[in-house]
Amino acid sequence: MIDQPGADLYPQGEAIQAQIKKRHRTGRIWRYLFFTALVLAIITLIVLMLNIINQSFGLVAEQNAVPPNMLVRDYQEGRLLSASNVVTSEDDFYLAEEIGADPQATGFFGYAFFKNNEEQLKALTIDGVAPNAETVNNGEYPLTRPLYIYTTADILNSKPEVAAFVQYYLDNAPAVVKGVGYFPAGTEELNAAKATVANALESGGGTVNPADHAGTIVASGSSTVWPVTSAMSIWFEEDGFAGDVIVERVGTTGGFQDFCYAATTDVDIVNASRPISQLEFEACRSHDREPLEIRIGTDALAVVVNHENDFVSDVSQAELQNLFVETENWSAVNSAWPAAPIRRFIPSEDSGTLDFFVDTVFDTNLEDLPYDSLVEILAGGISLNVGRRLEREQRFYADTLVFEDQATWDEVCAEAEPPAGCTAPPRDQNNVFLLVQERIVQPQFLETWYLWPSLTQRDEIVRTVAEKYPNAEVIFQSWINGQFITSPQSSTPEIAGIRTAILGSLWVIAITFLFSFPLGVGAAIYLEEYADHTKRFNQIIQTNINNLAGVPSIIYGMLGLAVFVRLLEPLTSGAVFGAVESGVTANGRTILSAGLTLGLLILPIIIISAQESIRAVPGSLRQASLGLGATKWQTIWNHVLPNALPGILTGTILSMSRAIGETAPLVVVGASTFITFDPTGPFSKFTVLPIQIYQWTARPQQIFRNLAGAAIIVLLFLLLTMNATAIYLRNRFSKRMG
Amino acid sequence: MIANNKSTPTNNGRYAIEAKNVNIYYGDFRAVKEVNLQFEPRAITALIGPSGCGKSTVLRAFNRMNDLVPISWMEGEIMFQGKNIYDADVDPVRVRRQIGMVFQKPNPFPKSIYDNVLWGAKINGFKGNADELVEQSLRQAALWDEVKDKLQDSGLALSGGQQQRLCIARTIAVKPEIILMDEPASALDPISTLRIEELIQDLKRNYTILIVTHNMQQAARASDFTAFLNMDEDRAGYLVEYGETDQIFTNPQDELTEQYITGRFG
Repeated sequence: MIDQPGADLYPQGEAIQAQIKKRHRTGRIWRYLFFTALVLAIITLIVLMLNIINQSFGLVAEQNAVPPNMLVRDYQEGRLLSASNVVTSEDDFYLAEEIGADPQATGFFGYAFFKNNEEQLKALTIDGVAPNAETVNNGEYPLTRPLYIYTTADILNSKPEVAAFVQYYLDNAPAVVKGVGYFPAGTEELNAAKATVANALESGGGTVNPADHAGTIVASGSSTVWPVTSAMSIWFEEDGFAGDVIVERVGTTGGFQDFCYAATTDVDIVNASRPISQLEFEACRSHDREPLEIRIGTDALAVVVNHENDFVSDVSQAELQNLFVETENWSAVNSAWPAAPIRRFIPSEDSGTLDFFVDTVFDTNLEDLPYDSLVEILAGGISLNVGRRLEREQRFYADTLVFEDQATWDEVCAEAEPPAGCTAPPRDQNNVFLLVQERIVQPQFLETWYLWPSLTQRDEIVRTVAEKYPNAEVIFQSWINGQFITSPQSSTPEIAGIRTAILGSLWVIAITFLFSFPLGVGAAIYLEEYADHTKRFNQIIQTNINNLAGVPSIIYGMLGLAVFVRLLEPLTSGAVFGAVESGVTANGRTILSAGLTLGLLILPIIIISAQESIRAVPGSLRQASLGLGATKWQTIWNHVLPNALPGILTGTILSMSRAIGETAPLVVVGASTFITFDPTGPFSKFTVLPIQIYQWTARPQQIFRNLAGAAIIVLLFLLLTMNATAIYLRNRFSKRMG
Repeated sequence: MIANNKSTPTNNGRYAIEAKNVNIYYGDFRAVKEVNLQFEPRAITALIGPSGCGKSTVLRAFNRMNDLVPISWMEGEIMFQGKNIYDADVDPVRVRRQIGMVFQKPNPFPKSIYDNVLWGAKINGFKGNADELVEQSLRQAALWDEVKDKLQDSGLALSGGQQQRLCIARTIAVKPEIILMDEPASALDPISTLRIEELIQDLKRNYTILIVTHNMQQAARASDFTAFLNMDEDRAGYLVEYGETDQIFTNPQDELTEQYITGRFG
């Protein structure tokens, strides 16, 4: 070691490293503190987002006055029944016979009836799949439905005759089901069903002798399963059963209604042509009847033609649709087929077979029905008076009237102040669909749940709904959906949307931008490039701008109310421009006033950030420009502004984000809290997203908090899109600047 | 082409530009005191002197760049083409159009090389062939061969020396009478410095050049005339001696000049 003079004033030897360690330690403590702060910030943000998401999705107990699938089914059946050359009959034998006699005929019915008339008919394959035991059981063939019987362990144990019948049923299912004309369940499935029954029985099952039993057995439900169960009951009685087997036909849903929802029931067995729904299951369980599901077979529909028909043996699903509606000739369905008229023989309106065919082949959503059909559905479900009122608001067709007669209409439209419908363009698809939803389907959300309980306590929720609302359905609702975004505000939460608020926010933010950006940047240019900072006047202005940036937003609201809404009313209400429609004046509480108020609010922020950016442009650039003989303005326009623009845009993005989320000043300026029509221009009444959210969260019902959660997500999305666009533009610009 | 005119400062011919009794103030502070200087056309004149002696301030007075400093003002006259450029009816934009400037730190615009050269010409109403002007200016600035294949690249992508030559090209593109250079090579490495010096020698054939430099060798090597400025006890700059460079460096008349060029103060 070299002995440096004065080195002894510093720590020596081991102490050097100790002292350095101590300095490192201080830094490390700060580092951990900052890291903790970051983690806390991230956790807070995640919790916030999760909370919003929690509110925006979840289960809903929904009850429709009219189920939409019924409307769709009615419409589709109407198309089938009104097709050309259509003959309907409840009698499948008649249909089979007619098709068997006519080479140009087609039709459909249960596979059983096809089998019985096989020599006259030919069953078509669908997309190459022929109906047979294999394709029907594994679901490859599309036109199938499963057949079940349901009972409970309690019934089996308390009524030995039912247990005996069910066991007998399973033993003889292959023969009887086949005899009726359905496809019996596979051996494996039947063995599994037998095991289920044996497990449920305290006695453990065994061989059954019908003669050992007496009493009454009641089976109820599907008319499709009915022939199987009745045939089975006859066999059972023939084998010596001393009691009665009563088999009723009330439809699958009717069977479950009696079996699951009634407080007491005498139904022992439910015949079903679909699996039990979760709600029905829970309803049964709530009455201590835990249903046992027993699959006995599968029903299939056969689409048939005459056995002499040599041009068609296979149809696709799309061709199947065309085959039974609208087309007249075979050639219209497939050009390879002859131009002879199709003669159609189909089951009649009341038949479950027709419903089944339509549900499987014509699977559409209500909103996808044609406009005319929607109008027809609407007209069929509302009173003439309501219809007239809707028509006066907005017509359904440009050339014809649906509810009003022409004479009255002309009279009404000739009045001094004719209703909007006289001039407005006709309604569109979405508009009428929403009317159908609102007036006909009338969905009602009886109760809603947040996402977390919906995921963790699904079964409990379904049980609660089954107990409390027998006719309701449990659906998973995303509160953010197309309808929510495109529908106007409504006091009915089921059909309420935020289109009005989104448009209001966009209008207001557009005016805010157009007002504050040029003004703010202009002011900043003047202050930085032209104003003499040594002058007292300019210093006072600068100080004022800095202070204004910190003024609470509600104060700007008061200012906006006093100046834009009251003082400048003729201007902001559009009166001086002649833009005010009689009777709907917004009295200065317009989009323009709101936009200008928010513009004032963010003006200081824009000015200050623009000043900072302009100040950051290197002086050497200005000198270079001026040294070449450029004027001051050329220097500013060509060099200072382009270089300052990225910074100016950053400040503008931040302030616009602030403006779009502001509520307080707009409440003061007079944004409408409830408004159902779209803003049409700067002189319209309006509402904005934050106000809509605020209004919804203030309501006591949970459903409005669901709506608020969804609206928050929309607002965030709008904000992020806006910022992303601005940042993209800014980056592209900075890149171009080199 | 006018041949190099090695006339002395005492020449009574027409000067390119002339400072008469110039005093420059920053607020109350007098930065430059009673400077009288006459510059020969198509010659290189170096302004040397210790730090803070006001040589840059004097230089910037010749194209009214001092106007940009709000608190600065001046007394005296600067005669250019028979007129005082500080007269009320003279537009500083016009002065700068005819008297160009190259700055200490290369400051190309954040634009392409092509636009850098052309921008000044465009705003000044250039009506000729743009491509030709760019090529000619870049050739005169000895930069053409290095950048001819990447004219659309950003000017900022060039090296420091290339950037400075680009700034010179940009300046000569507007065809000024005089080029003012404020320590144009001080931010560059020795090789780039040498190239700039050679370039300045070439430019002398067409332009009158005034160059401020800290570098004594540079002044001795590259200039025809040298003016030595110094600071008095009030820290105001004044002209000590002015003459042909050979004479100033070999036979200075003033003791201060001799001390300065031999490195005994500064």
